[in-house]
Amino acid sequence: MRFLRQLLLPVLALASLALARSSTGDSVLILLDPSLKKEDFSVFFGDLEKKGYQLTFRSPKDATPEIIKDDVAQFAHVVVFAPNTKSFAADVTPQSLVSLLSKNTNLLLALSPKQTPLSSLASEFSLILPPPGTPLVSHFPKRDTPPTVIPVDVPATHDIISPNLPPVWFSGVPQALGNNPMLVPILKAPPQAFASDADSDKGADALVEAAEKSGEGLWAGSSLSLVTGFQALSNARATWLGGVELFSDDFINKEISKGVKSGNRQFASDVAAWTFQESHVLRIDSVEHHRVNETLPRETYTINDRVTYTTYISKYNPELDLWEPYSGIKDMQLEFTMLDPHIRTSLPPIAGEPGKYSVTFRVPDRHGVFKFVNDYKRKGWTYLTSSTVVPVVPPRHDEYPRFLSAAWPYYAGAFSTSAAFVLFVTLWLAGDDREPKKSKGAKAE
Amino acid sequence: MPATKNAPTAKTAGSSQSPILSLWNAYYDNTSTRLKTIDAFLVFLMLSGIIQFLYCILVTNFPFNAFLAGFASCVGQFVLAASLRAQVNPANRKEFKEVSPERAFAEFALGSIVLHFFVYNFLG
Repeated sequence: MRFLRQLLLPVLALASLALARSSTGDSVLILLDPSLKKEDFSVFFGDLEKKGYQLTFRSPKDATPEIIKDDVAQFAHVVVFAPNTKSFAADVTPQSLVSLLSKNTNLLLALSPKQTPLSSLASEFSLILPPPGTPLVSHFPKRDTPPTVIPVDVPATHDIISPNLPPVWFSGVPQALGNNPMLVPILKAPPQAFASDADSDKGADALVEAAEKSGEGLWAGSSLSLVTGFQALSNARATWLGGVELFSDDFINKEISKGVKSGNRQFASDVAAWTFQESHVLRIDSVEHHRVNETLPRETYTINDRVTYTTYISKYNPELDLWEPYSGIKDMQLEFTMLDPHIRTSLPPIAGEPGKYSVTFRVPDRHGVFKFVNDYKRKGWTYLTSSTVVPVVPPRHDEYPRFLSAAWPYYAGAFSTSAAFVLFVTLWLAGDDREPKKSKGAKAE
Repeated sequence: MPATKNAPTAKTAGSSQSPILSLWNAYYDNTSTRLKTIDAFLVFLMLSGIIQFLYCILVTNFPFNAFLAGFASCVGQFVLAASLRAQVNPANRKEFKEVSPERAFAEFALGSIVLHFFVYNFLG
């Protein structure tokens, strides 16, 4: 079986090379603003189709195809490129978009400097937008584009984005990030950039003054995010783009410097891959627990038992559409909890056995209903949670150690008494032969 | 048949010695071997009981059943042996007219065996 699989794997790989797929599904609904043309995003959409996604286009005001029908999400992923739409069809509301997340549908949403329903939805995701009509502006580096079209350096080492991409062109609105731990910042603004409603520099002083007066401070610097991911507890992902132009053909084909194309194309592909749950997708295949030197789980464990907990974790490989054992997690922890974690220990990967993580520990000297809890939440990665309830009982009456080393004097006392008794009886009976004679003699006397 | 309390002999033997030594000499000279055996047994049981009691107080009484068993075996055996001594002592013959030394020993042996049976049941 294993041999067969090894044979089949390269064949499968060849067959599915063109069909890189998401772990959750291939159907994509794209809500495209009428003011945007499909052709303007042909490279991005083309790349998606090449990967094997089925794209369905719909205007934000159209009623069909429905996003949610009979309470079932109809698409695996929804892209909302509607930067100018003020009013959506009845089924596209902030509530329905949020409910999509709980149905494990991924969202890719584009913001714009204009005030739209999406701007208010963004604040539900802990993104703080500048006032309407204030796009990101930067005058550095010197270039021939307007100040709102900015080359942004892509972080060289980022989990989600391919390494060493050339800078990407960006135009749109920045977001300040709240302290929501589910946010995954993907692209940060350049340090010289700021949000301004002034097209020219004449209003700069007024801007600084206003920023000081309102107490908000200046919307500026690299703490602002331009592309922000969000991973809900359901593991659905929502990515917010500061501007839809980031993915446009214009920006993809625009040269960042002479002869060097911008990194927009790869960046868009990477962001889409993360958002559509192609990359950084993990799952717990199985969980095992048993006493040391046993193989099957016990219905109950006894206090102070030594117990081995094992979990198998796979990572999704989008190129092969396969789940592969994954041993790359170094910082996973296992908790053994009864209300509080009584034991919290690292759950390391086992060398030589891909995907296996195992730890052996002593059950605490405390009985009750315990849980093995594996709760692994890292930014950008699928949340892994697993909880297994096991009762821990005190030893049965016949499971206590019977003879204790502390009691050796007592055992010695009892045994020596018996030995002395036997010795005494022997002496007594041995003396019996002589004594009666003596006593007879005495009596005779 | 020598008696245990032969006062004149003790006095004559220990007049020039310390009282304890004279007591010891009187005991040594006037006690039959059997009674000496019983006495040695009694001393051993007493020492064993004392050691166990000290261990219980100073170190641990944790397997309390083991302490009770060990200590009770000493005390019980001591009581039985003391009874045996009282019954086979020729000086007490008047008080135990009905009880022959053989019968006293048989009762002692039976009682001891029953005692040890309970002790080992209680020990572990």
